[in-house]
Amino acid sequence: MLERTLVQTRGFRNTGPEGARTGFEFLLRLPNYRGMRASLADGVDVTVDGETFAYTANRLVVQGRELTLEQLREATDLRWAIDEPVIVRVAKPGGLAVGVHAIAVGVRIRQPYFPIEFQPSVIHETREATIVL
Amino acid sequence: MSTQGFRYGVSLYSYTGDFGTVLTLEDACAQIADLGATGIEILGEAHVPGYPDPERAWIDHWHSLLARYRLEPTNFGCWIDTRLRLARNLTAIEAAEDLERDIRLAARLGFRYVRPKIGVVSMDLKPDPIWEEAVERVLDIAARSDIILCPEIHAPTPIRHPIVEDYVRFIERTGTKHFGLLIDTGIFQDRPLPHWPGETEDMRRTFLNGIRVDPADFLRVAQYVVFIQAKFHHIDRHLQDQHIPWERVVPMLRQAGYTGYLSSEYEGSREPWRSLEQVRRQHALLRKLERELSASPVAR
Repeated sequence: MLERTLVQTRGFRNTGPEGARTGFEFLLRLPNYRGMRASLADGVDVTVDGETFAYTANRLVVQGRELTLEQLREATDLRWAIDEPVIVRVAKPGGLAVGVHAIAVGVRIRQPYFPIEFQPSVIHETREATIVL
Repeated sequence: MSTQGFRYGVSLYSYTGDFGTVLTLEDACAQIADLGATGIEILGEAHVPGYPDPERAWIDHWHSLLARYRLEPTNFGCWIDTRLRLARNLTAIEAAEDLERDIRLAARLGFRYVRPKIGVVSMDLKPDPIWEEAVERVLDIAARSDIILCPEIHAPTPIRHPIVEDYVRFIERTGTKHFGLLIDTGIFQDRPLPHWPGETEDMRRTFLNGIRVDPADFLRVAQYVVFIQAKFHHIDRHLQDQHIPWERVVPMLRQAGYTGYLSSEYEGSREPWRSLEQVRRQHALLRKLERELSASPVAR
């Protein structure tokens, strides 16, 4: 089963080879009460220990496919299910230090049954999570 | 003649936050059955793993749980995501294809009702006009699948509203038995909700304070109502609902001759396990009010 938090405890890790890390990634659960086609997601802002990584640059891995924001917005054939967290990949040369970090997300989703003036909805969460590797 | 009463059910939406974290589908079925309720309502994209193409094994599991807990599937929630793309809205044909997919899946899982939540085109939540052609295109499939489509009348949209008139006109024009209204009892909310995280002034004004529909308005549309989502937010330990005036709503449903489902839709605080207790309180309250009506000499 999933954790209640959006950012899951497992899955928070550096990417790229040891000694030449290219960034980090984590597992993110959908902040909604229903799954959606991936095109209804509009990217994820990420802040770690005060450093912000914009939703326009971060990539999402949905059903095994890594997507830029542009690709995500057109991904009507992929689904972000509520029981299947996606991977958020953030570019940060050197990666993150092993240890506990404050990680904040702003998850942007579009909900067609709300007036467009209120869209996208941005759901925020902050938690501590630990880099082991 | 003894009048048939309401039927009682629960929407798994009630258990949002708990479902998939501390509650399995079987746990939820056990909770519902323990209320003496008979109906289970789901949201396709929330409660069917692998939606819209669940594995055969899951479908077998679903049917075996229904049999074990003696539950019948009631309403299947789906969405017509009209703004699926940034560049353009769905066409009526695309919307009809999505609806057909959901009708077929709902029928396969044993549901009788399908609630499409339709994308809107205005601040007062006017549904995208494609809804009419899209629905008309699938009425035959709904008939063959023994499914009734029912858009929900949900705050801030009251019963006396052009949207409801459009739906009623559609029913009258087509003569269909496979399209009806779903009433969400949040429209009767007459006291303000506690503050929501991220709420705006608009949300506070348009629906969080309650749109206070007169329960008597139900009588105006009762003949078209096929399903009721019994929306609520908090019931205290004395079985007093803090927002929905059930003591005025239940007699009106009874007076209208409604004998369909009251399907709990808890939408209050999402602390773990709170929803389980709140749904029990609602069933205790609703059954108590129904019993009191039956005992009273003026009741039908």
